[in-house]
Amino acid sequence: MPTRRNFLRGAGAATALVGVETVGSPLTAAALAGDETLRQPYARRVDARDKVRGAVQYGADHVPARLTHAVPVVATIGKGRVVEFDTTAAEAVPGVRLVLTRIPPGELRSAPFIMAGGFAVQGYQPMTSDRVAYRGQMIALVVADTLVAATEAAALVTARYETEPFAVTLDADGTETLLQATVIPRFPDTVMGDADAAYATSPVKLDATYDGPPQHAMPIELLASTVEWQGENLIVRESTQNANAVRHGVAYELGISADRVEVISPSAGGAFGQKNSFQMHLGPLALAARRVGRPVKLVVPRTQTFHAGSFRPASRQRIRLGADRSGRMLAAIHEIDAQTSRHDLFPMQYTELTGRMYDIPDFRGRHQLVRTDAQTPGYMRAPFEHIAAFALESSVDELAYKLGKDPVALRLANDAPTTDPISGHPFTSRHLAECLRRGADRFGWVDRRPGVGSMRAKDGTLIGWGVAVGAYKAATAPATAVLRAESLGRRRCRVTITVDGHEMGQGIRTAITNLITGNLGVATEDVVVVVGDTRGVPPQHSTAGSWGTATALPAIDAAMGKLREQLGLRPSGPIDLPAAMSGRAPVELQARTKAPGQPDDVWDRVAAGGAAGAGPEYPAFTSMSYIAHFVEVRIEPRIRRIRVPRVVSVADCGRVASPVTAVSQVRGGVIWGIGATLREGGEVDPRFGGFLSASLEDYALPVNADIGDIDVSLIDKPDPLLNSVGVKSLGEVSMVGVAPAIANAVWHATGRRVRRLPIRIEDVI
Amino acid sequence: MRPFAYTAARTLGQAVEALADGGPGTKVLAGGTTLYDLMKLRIENPPAVIDISRVSELTRIDTSGAELVIGAGARMADVAEHPVVRRDYPALSESLWRAASQQLRNMATVGGNLLQRTRCSYFRGGSAFPCNKREPGSGCSAIDGIDRHHALFGGSQSCIATYPGDWAVALLAFDAKLDVVGPKTRRTIALADLHVEPGSTPQREHTLAADEIIVRIRVPKTAAGRGSTYLKIRDRESYAFALTSAAVGLTIGRRGVIEQSRIALGGVATRPWRVPAAEQSLIGEQLTEATARRAGEVAFAGAKAGHHNGFRIELGIRTVTEALMIARTRATR
Ligand SMILES: Cc1cc2nc3c(=O)[nH]c(=O)nc-3n(C[C@H](O)[C@H](O)[C@H](O)COP(=O)(O)OP(=O)(O)OC[C@H]3O[C@@H](n4cnc5c(N)ncnc54)[C@H](O)[C@@H]3O)c2cc1C
Ligand code: SF4
Repeated sequence: MPTRRNFLRGAGAATALVGVETVGSPLTAAALAGDETLRQPYARRVDARDKVRGAVQYGADHVPARLTHAVPVVATIGKGRVVEFDTTAAEAVPGVRLVLTRIPPGELRSAPFIMAGGFAVQGYQPMTSDRVAYRGQMIALVVADTLVAATEAAALVTARYETEPFAVTLDADGTETLLQATVIPRFPDTVMGDADAAYATSPVKLDATYDGPPQHAMPIELLASTVEWQGENLIVRESTQNANAVRHGVAYELGISADRVEVISPSAGGAFGQKNSFQMHLGPLALAARRVGRPVKLVVPRTQTFHAGSFRPASRQRIRLGADRSGRMLAAIHEIDAQTSRHDLFPMQYTELTGRMYDIPDFRGRHQLVRTDAQTPGYMRAPFEHIAAFALESSVDELAYKLGKDPVALRLANDAPTTDPISGHPFTSRHLAECLRRGADRFGWVDRRPGVGSMRAKDGTLIGWGVAVGAYKAATAPATAVLRAESLGRRRCRVTITVDGHEMGQGIRTAITNLITGNLGVATEDVVVVVGDTRGVPPQHSTAGSWGTATALPAIDAAMGKLREQLGLRPSGPIDLPAAMSGRAPVELQARTKAPGQPDDVWDRVAAGGAAGAGPEYPAFTSMSYIAHFVEVRIEPRIRRIRVPRVVSVADCGRVASPVTAVSQVRGGVIWGIGATLREGGEVDPRFGGFLSASLEDYALPVNADIGDIDVSLIDKPDPLLNSVGVKSLGEVSMVGVAPAIANAVWHATGRRVRRLPIRIEDVI
Repeated sequence: MRPFAYTAARTLGQAVEALADGGPGTKVLAGGTTLYDLMKLRIENPPAVIDISRVSELTRIDTSGAELVIGAGARMADVAEHPVVRRDYPALSESLWRAASQQLRNMATVGGNLLQRTRCSYFRGGSAFPCNKREPGSGCSAIDGIDRHHALFGGSQSCIATYPGDWAVALLAFDAKLDVVGPKTRRTIALADLHVEPGSTPQREHTLAADEIIVRIRVPKTAAGRGSTYLKIRDRESYAFALTSAAVGLTIGRRGVIEQSRIALGGVATRPWRVPAAEQSLIGEQLTEATARRAGEVAFAGAKAGHHNGFRIELGIRTVTEALMIARTRATR
C-alpha cells in the first residue's frame, strides 16, 4: 500500500519532504501532549464500528410505513413574484399526491430568524406569499409515492413570474449598506482607546483590503427531514445541531404547542453550522404530511442546497495596522463589509478575533452589513474568525517582512498572555505562545530562510513556509443531564446519560464516554449516551459555536458528583461504581449547569426554544481557545500549481476530552482550511442572481490527493476557570489561521501577496 | 424521470437494428455516466435507449498488430491499465487515468467518452440560463458571463463551450480512426473528423449519424507513442476537468534532433485541438526549454480570451512546455 506521502510524490506533488513525524493513532492524551502525563486510557471513537457497518441512523434513514417523498420546486428568477403556477402536468404524473404551491394565510406563519430571537435559519418563510426573494428559493413542494415520481413532477411544475431588479454581490447597484452597531444595537463595534490617532502617529503603517468569497458548507449528509403525524402530534426526524429550535420553529409555524412536537436526531453526517436551526423546508413539509395523511421524507437535493442552506457571506475587510520600529503593534483599525439578506440582519463578529488576538492598545472595529438578494447567510465553521484571521494574520506577516523580523518572534512579542484587551478581564488560560513554540519546533522553523523565493527544491520547485495563529471563543450553553445507573452484576454497571447535545461526527459521544469511564470506573461498552432527542431530556439546546463538549461535560460531571454523594462515595478520585451499585436498585438523577454568570431565567429562554450560548466574555473572565499553524507550500517552477505537502498545527483547547476525535477535529479543520483557501468560492453571475456554482462540480472542494501530512498536537492543559472539567473549544479554532498561513507561505515562495480567496493558479502564474 | 424504453442488445447486429428501429431520438447507452446524467438534468430526453454494455465484441482490446485496436465498449479503467497501452502510449493511458474518478472509469466506456458533452455551467444549469446548445436560438449566457472554463479556440458568436474530454485529445494527437457501423453504412472516419466546431449550430457536436454506433478505435503504432505524455492541469489534483491539457509525443533521433512531434490541446477549445504549426516548429530542433516554450507559444498564437479565461493562455503555453519536457525524458530513454 502506498502511503499518502508516496502517493503525493507519485503525483508529482512533493519532491524531497523535510522530515516530519505525524501522530498516528493516539490512544492517550499523553502521546499527543508530548510533555503531559495522563494516566487515563481513552476510548477510540465509540461509534466507529457502527459507522463502518452503516448502522448509525441519520435523518433520512428512517423509513416509516406508507412513506411518501417530497421534492421542492425552486425559483428560476433572481427576484420578483410568482404570478401563476401551472401544475397540471405535475399532477398528472402517476403517484403524485400533492403539489403544494402557495400556502394560504393562516396555515403557516414564518418562524423568526434565530439571530433575531427566533428559531429559523432565516426570518422569511418561502411559499407563504407570492414573493421570490432570491434565485433558488423554494416556491412549491411536490409529494408523491416514490422519489422518482416526485422528482419528475417537480420538474414539470412551471411558474410565470414578474421579475424585479436584484443585487447579489457586495458592489452591485441596489444593495443597501447598514452600520451594524446602529441596526443591531446588541452587537456594538469594538473600540479601545483612540485607534485613528494612534495609527496616524505609528512609525510603521500597513493598510490593505482583503476579499472573501461566499462559501457554502457542504456536509456529506444533505439537509433531510422525515415527518410523521401521530394523531395531533408531529414526529420529526432530521439531522440537526439544534433539535430545540427545530421543535419550536415548526410548532410556531404551524401554530401548535411545542409539546406536540418531538425531534429525533441521533446523528448528523456533518453540519458545520448549516444545520444549526430550523430549516425553511420543514413547515411546508409538515403541512404536506398533514394533507396527504402519510409520513413524508424530504432530502434537499445537493444543487438546491446552495440556495436552501445558509452560507459564509461574501466579505471585504480593510485592515490598518500601526506598529513601532521594534515591531510592537500600536493600533489596528478593522473595517468589514459583509453580505446579509434583504429579510434579515445577520450579525457579524469579526473583531472578536482581531481585537484580542494581540496586545494592541488602540483598536477600532466597524461592521457594515450589505443587504443582498440571497438567502440569509449564517454560521459556517469559524464563521468570522477564518476570514478575519486571513486579513489580520496576512497583515502581521507583512509587518514582519517590513521590519525584517521573524514572523514567529513578532507574534510572540505581541502576545497578550494574561489580559483580554477588549474586556480588561483575565483570560481563563492562554497557551498561544506554547502553541507557537511547539509548532515551530515540530515544523523545523529554525531552518527557514526568510528571503522571498529563497527556498527551492532541486527541481526548482519554490518552497514557502508560512505561519499564522488563530483563536476562537470558548463558549458555553446551559445543559441538563439525566444519569441513570443500573447494576449489571458485581463487576458491571450500565450508565445511561441523556444530555443536551448533538452528535455531528465531532465525537460528543466519545468525549462523554471518556468522562464517565474515567470518573466512575465503568467499562466503555456499559456507557449509553443519548443526545439529539427531545424525548429524552428537553430542551436539546443547540450544539454550535464549538461549545458542545464544554456544555455537556460539566452537566454530566455535576450529575456524577450527585451520584457519588447519593451513594456515599468519596467526592473525587477513583471509585468502583459497579461494586457500589451491586445489589442496589437503579438510580436516576438529574443535574444542570449553565455558563458562568448566566442568570436563572436562561432556563426559561431555552425552554421556549431560544438561543442561549454565552462567551467568550463572562462576568469575571474571557475564555478563548488558540491555535498555531505552520504550513509548507510547494509551487512548481513552470506550471505553478500550489500544493500543501505538510501542515503542523498545535492547539490549546483546554483539557483534551477525547484525543482521537480531537485530533480528527483539528485535521478536519486544517483540511477545510486548505479547501477554503485554495479551492472554495461561490460564483455569482450578476445577470442571473443566486449562485451560479451550485453543484459540487462548479464549487470545488479539495480531494484526498490535495491533502498532505497534517501533524496535530494538543497542549492539553485543563482550563482552571471556565468549567469543572477544564475543557474549552476546539472544532472551529482548528480552521482559524490556516488561510493566512497558506497565503503567507505563498508570499514566502513567490513574493505575491494574494488578498483575495481562493488563491488559485492564476494568482501565482 | 421521464419514462423511456430500454432494450439490452447482446450482439452488435442487434444493437444496430434496435437503434434503427427505435425511432427518432433513440440513443445508445454504454456506461451511462454521461447519458443518465444528462437525462437527469433533462438535457437529453431519449424516448428509448439501446444498452450496448453487454455486447462482448465491443469490449475487445487487441494490441498485436500494427495498430492498437480498442473496442468502443472497453472500460476506461481497463484501457488505462492495459500494459501495452501504458508502455507504448503513456499519453493514452494517462488521458484516461487522469479523467473522472476510479468509480466512473470502472463504468464508463472509451466510446461513450468521445461523445461526452460540455461542462458549461449555463448548459447544465437549467432552463433559466439561455443556451444555444441546449435550446437553439435562446442565446449564449457564457459569452458575457463567467467564462473561466470556456474555450480559447474554436468558439463562435453562438457558443464558446469547451469540449471537456481528455481521451479524444490524446487520440487526436496520434491520428486515431474510428470504425463506425449503421444499418446501411460501415465506414471509417478519422477522429479528427468526429467533433465539429459550434459555428451557428452548437447543438451539433459531431458527425455521427443518429443510427451509427462506434465499434472500435484504431491507433497506428508509432515511436512517438512511447515518447508521449498527457499533462492535465486542473483546479485540484484529481477529479476535475482540465483548465489546460496537452497530449504530446516526440521521437528524437541522433544528436537529439526531433524527428516527429505531436501536440494536441485539451480543455481550451470547442473540440479536441491539434496544433500542427506548433508540431512543425520543433522538427529538426533540439528540445530545450526555449524550443519547447516556443512551441507552446505557437500553439496558443490564435487564442481568443474572454473575460475570466485569459490566464489559461499563459498556463496553456506552460502546459505544452512542461509536457514536452516530460516527453523528452521518455523519447530519449
Ligand atoms: C463526475 C464526472 C467527472 C468526469 N470527469 C471527466 C474528466 O475529467 N475527463 C474526461 O475525459 N471525462 C470525464 N467525465 C466524463 C466521462 O468520462 C464520460 O461520462 C464517460 O466516458 C462516458 O462513457 P459512458 O460509457 O458512460 O457513456 P454513455 O453515458 O453511456 O454515453 C455517452 C454518449 O455517447 C453515446 N455512445 C456511447 N457509446 C457509443 C457508441 N459505441 N457508439 C455511438 N454512441 C455511443 C451515447 O448515446 C451518449 O450520447 C466525467 C464524468 C462525470 C460524471
Ligand atoms: S457556451 Fe455554449 S453551452 Fe455554454 S451557454 Fe453558451 S451556448 Fe450554451
